[in-house]
Amino acid sequence: MTVLIRRLAGHLARGLVMILIVTTVSFFVIRSVPGDPMAAKYEKLVEQGMSPEAAQRAVEVLYGFAPSGGLWQQYVDYMTGLFRLDLGQSLTIPGVGVSTVLFSAAKWTILPVLAGTLLSFLIGVILGVYAAVRRSGRLGDALAISGSLLHGVPQYVLALLLMAVFTTLIPILPAGGTADIMYEPGLNAGYIGSLIEYATLPVLTYALASYGGWILAMKSSVVTVLGDDFILAAELRGMKRGIVFRYIARNAILPLFTILALSLGTLFGGAIFIERIFNYPGLGLMLIDSITNRDYALMGGAFLLITGAIIVANIMADLFYTVIDPRVRGGEGAP
Amino acid sequence: MTAQTITAAGGAAGGAGPGTGRAALRRNFWRGVWRVLRRKPSRMLGAVIVAGFALMGVFGPMFYPDHLPRDTAALYAPPSWEHPFGTDFEGTDVLALLITGSRYVLLTALVTAVITVVLGAAIGLFAGFRRGRWDTVLMRITDMKLTIPGLPLLLVLSTVWKFTSALEMGLVLGLLGWGGVARAVRSQTLSLRERGFIEAARGLGLSTTHIIGRELLPSMAPFIAMNMLISVTGAVYAQVGLFFLGVLPFDANNWGVMLNLAVFGGGAMSSPAALPYLMAPLLAILLLTLGIVLVVDAMDEIFNPRLREE
Repeated sequence: MTVLIRRLAGHLARGLVMILIVTTVSFFVIRSVPGDPMAAKYEKLVEQGMSPEAAQRAVEVLYGFAPSGGLWQQYVDYMTGLFRLDLGQSLTIPGVGVSTVLFSAAKWTILPVLAGTLLSFLIGVILGVYAAVRRSGRLGDALAISGSLLHGVPQYVLALLLMAVFTTLIPILPAGGTADIMYEPGLNAGYIGSLIEYATLPVLTYALASYGGWILAMKSSVVTVLGDDFILAAELRGMKRGIVFRYIARNAILPLFTILALSLGTLFGGAIFIERIFNYPGLGLMLIDSITNRDYALMGGAFLLITGAIIVANIMADLFYTVIDPRVRGGEGAP
Repeated sequence: MTAQTITAAGGAAGGAGPGTGRAALRRNFWRGVWRVLRRKPSRMLGAVIVAGFALMGVFGPMFYPDHLPRDTAALYAPPSWEHPFGTDFEGTDVLALLITGSRYVLLTALVTAVITVVLGAAIGLFAGFRRGRWDTVLMRITDMKLTIPGLPLLLVLSTVWKFTSALEMGLVLGLLGWGGVARAVRSQTLSLRERGFIEAARGLGLSTTHIIGRELLPSMAPFIAMNMLISVTGAVYAQVGLFFLGVLPFDANNWGVMLNLAVFGGGAMSSPAALPYLMAPLLAILLLTLGIVLVVDAMDEIFNPRLREE
């Protein structure tokens, strides 16, 4: 148990350092944007007749930190703002805090990506076992090749291909958005059906793009376990095939769970291309829009959220592995 | 498998074999390569595809004028003998766009791959060979690099630095991409440095540079070469993706710009007539990926005798 606590403490410390680095990077990125948008805004407000103090406060509200004062002072202001979960105000949607905008966008990313991940995980793991057991057969070979190909193809290529097929050539699915506007958002069948219809292509793309990784990982994991001595021993003792299979499955799926936990880190930022292509208003689309609109506070917030999720998932994955695998729990874990 | 090819691969990988037999070993090695390629025609195809793309990038743009001719009478023309992939929204031949754009794409990929592999191998070798404090520090940095998601970071970076030229783009992608190679090279180094031949070299009192340059590096060369090919595909995806998203200014024509204009500018999604324009760069990316995957598969078998089928 102490091992677990020590690991947790180490991970948390490292995660905090990472978040510090990421926020520092995004601070300096925002600070060093060509043309210095904050100074420009400040001067514009002063020209419009605002007093220097009021103008400064207005800009501070917009960007999350004061434009004047030393660089260090600005940095400290920005960081203390972050500590209070105050990421500044969005430029494009005036009067709304960045965190509110982010959380309203996050649901459009989390749900499709989660659905896509789980779908591809289930299919990939099942087919991966088959591909490993029948690896010299034709179907097993074909499955492995399909995995390699899909694993190699970037998300946007898949998304564009699916979009071309299902919205242009055979127009059976909607091309973009979250739901048909003719339905009232709420818990009615029409709206929910429309939601599912509009989410089909994004989820399908995500699932196809990650399926290759799962089938390859599961296949190699099963092949490794198949070569282990204890499987041979179990077979020699004349154990039933079903029991041997349970041995294999339990040992082979272990590393897969770690990868699954890791991949949950991409729940926020894993679908940037998909959201852009299907015009799905999640965090990825928000990040791109904030960049095109020069909405730096929103950009910094989105980047922080996307990166933070990955850091948290990394910690969770490692802890999860410590809990689930007795070999690591023993305290002789890798350095 | 014949003993001949095994010694050949061993000779290529060992590198430190006796100087006299080296020419013969090299000849045998190429014979082994030829045999592996010939056994599966798909691998031959991969080599042909990769060579074809390289030629296209180097020589292709020479056949076209700087400003491609526009045929305003044939906007979104369907594929024909004159325009094998049709024309775009301005009447420019899509095949010409594809070929002139390939130089940028492949040059960037090459720069990225070189930087990735040189940095990654150097850092991995250093960390794995030195171990101790340097190892810990370098691997912490590597872990952090691997944790920060690449695409969002590239998007954020693009607001400060418009890295549109092929060299700048390659530099950015390379500097962001060495983490995985460093990790892998480090773990290889850690396992190799305990092997007999390294211990023998150390026992002989050979210098560290000799051990790293002449003993360790050659054993890892195939592995590093494969990583280089894989990072070529990664670089192609990343740069095409960045241009496709439209966060960088379009200075030169390349596949990503084509995709962006086809989808968001040309309305390839609304009319089937514009589909060939969209499909051409996608097909090029898929074909290049296929070629590289097949070549990596062949290399795997050439350099890893355990994988060879009897």
